[in-house]
Amino acid sequence: MSGKDTISDIERLIAEFEASGLRELHARRGDFEIYLSNDPDAPGLDGPPSVSAPVARGRQAAAKAPAASAPAPASPAVAAPAPEASFPDGAVVVRAPYLGTFYRAPKPGAPAYVEVGQQVAQDSEMCLVEVMKLFTAVRASCSGTVHAVLANDGDMVAADQPLFVVIPA
Amino acid sequence: MASHRVFVANRGEIGLRIVRAAHALGMEAVIGVSEADRGSLAAREADRAVVLGPGPAAKSYLDARLIVQAALSTGCDLLHPGYGFLSERAELARLCEEHGIAFVGPRPDVIDALGDKLRARAMAEAAGVPLVPGTGEIASAADAVRAAAEIGYPVLLKASAGGGGRGMVIAHDAKEVEAGFAKASAEALAAFNDGTLFMERFVPEARHVEVQLMGDGKGHVIHFGERDCSVQRRYQKLVEEAPCAAMSAQLRAKLHEAAVALAASVNYRNAGTAEFLYDVARQEVYFIEVNARIQVEHPVSEMISGFDLVQEQLRIATGAPLSLTQDQVVLSGHAIECRINAEDWQRDFMPVPGTVTRWKAPQGEGVRLDSHITEGATIPPYYDSMVGKLIVHGASREEAVAKLGEAIAGFEVEGVPTTLPLHAKIVSQPDFMANRIHTRWLEKTVLAGAME
Repeated sequence: MSGKDTISDIERLIAEFEASGLRELHARRGDFEIYLSNDPDAPGLDGPPSVSAPVARGRQAAAKAPAASAPAPASPAVAAPAPEASFPDGAVVVRAPYLGTFYRAPKPGAPAYVEVGQQVAQDSEMCLVEVMKLFTAVRASCSGTVHAVLANDGDMVAADQPLFVVIPA
Repeated sequence: MASHRVFVANRGEIGLRIVRAAHALGMEAVIGVSEADRGSLAAREADRAVVLGPGPAAKSYLDARLIVQAALSTGCDLLHPGYGFLSERAELARLCEEHGIAFVGPRPDVIDALGDKLRARAMAEAAGVPLVPGTGEIASAADAVRAAAEIGYPVLLKASAGGGGRGMVIAHDAKEVEAGFAKASAEALAAFNDGTLFMERFVPEARHVEVQLMGDGKGHVIHFGERDCSVQRRYQKLVEEAPCAAMSAQLRAKLHEAAVALAASVNYRNAGTAEFLYDVARQEVYFIEVNARIQVEHPVSEMISGFDLVQEQLRIATGAPLSLTQDQVVLSGHAIECRINAEDWQRDFMPVPGTVTRWKAPQGEGVRLDSHITEGATIPPYYDSMVGKLIVHGASREEAVAKLGEAIAGFEVEGVPTTLPLHAKIVSQPDFMANRIHTRWLEKTVLAGAME
């Protein structure tokens, strides 16, 4: 598939998909593969797909159903926090200062600030939480050993969500 | 212009602004959005919106290859990068060039050259643009004292390898230079393993002024006057106005001439801004850098010139010549813009994403709002906190200040905190009304009092 045909083929496929009432469609032809879904949280193909379903083709379509399948952008899927009851006695829980993106390393590709089993001091930086370009370094708040890391790098975390468990020394 | 289709590689108010500018010219507009922005006003007004990827900008708005692929697959022949994101990455301009898409901005080699501070300074110097008086490497304290006498006090001793204020000393007389030389050199040696110092004139209460430029890429460059953006916090502009009322006509003419000469010397294409430090006490301007894109504060220049800069950007990208000559740029009255950020300014400007439950903007003669927000709109946590710009135009600065105050008072926003209450405070300050401001003014006065 190449050139103009590809585009019109995809457009036709999307139109048919939208008209069909199907929830998901996964098609493959040669080395070309496409995944369409009405579910904004669908995992899709591995890695970011290079062509996704257009959300609003033409102003009329947009006016009829603005953001019909849009997720609520301000409350993106927040990773479920681990149940706090499972933390050992005396454990200190390090929490997110606000809703934002959780980063385990100072920059992409760099080693994580901390790993499980590592010793930390009270002012050791554990991670970064970022909201709207404001980065905040979250510190251990006690010296001890990292017992658990409760969120994944790049996760959206809620305000006060537990991020780490530290066993005080 | 009807046969052109623009790919909008941005979001928020500027995404919407570009979509509307394209439509005004009879062009089609396709916008690339993240999943978080698929319901945005820009996506709804565009002829078509394609989802680039998930919310985080690295996987959507910052992926140049993905964006160019989306522009190609939707049949766009122009690509507008807006500001921020990839707007000043030569990589995007280069990819567009390789794939036959006209990039709405300068050529990639010019973006590269201007992005490098030392190269930009060299280009400015070659074009006869004034730079902050300074020295090369200084060998001894005695040399430093001699250089300072030539430059004029106060001076700033800086580490060649420096950054973050380390190895930096302000000196007001020869004694302070001598003591400062030893201190700065030792600090620089400890911090950067290199004690080399140089010296610059220190401008204590500087203003930030900048010139709006537009070039056709063939050596023709015109300007749309200057803007004064001295109300800042941590180098972030909060209020911008045009013209700079605190400047003499003579200095203004010199400023415009220098900016045009610099842009013309590189055959600058499309919109750009030359930024300068304005030393009010000495009545001198010094070059800082060129922003090779449309800027957030471009509307104040539009308000005093009555000219649409974004439409002109699109026209130039189609290969059209400049649509007016310098003589036809007539500036009148005074315009002020304030940036509305979704931030709690009383909690150290903490950004707050969320849903806007009430958004009732002021209206009236000479009042303009550039915003993508409507009631019920959500502000995603992934991008910067600016939700709009309120711009007013009056016959004089006094009239504009009064009008801005009224407009802010009549602006109702609920659901998220904004910087509007801070702007109300700023425009009612006697210093602001009397135009006695500089780049540290806000932090030293309004914020220093409020934060304590």
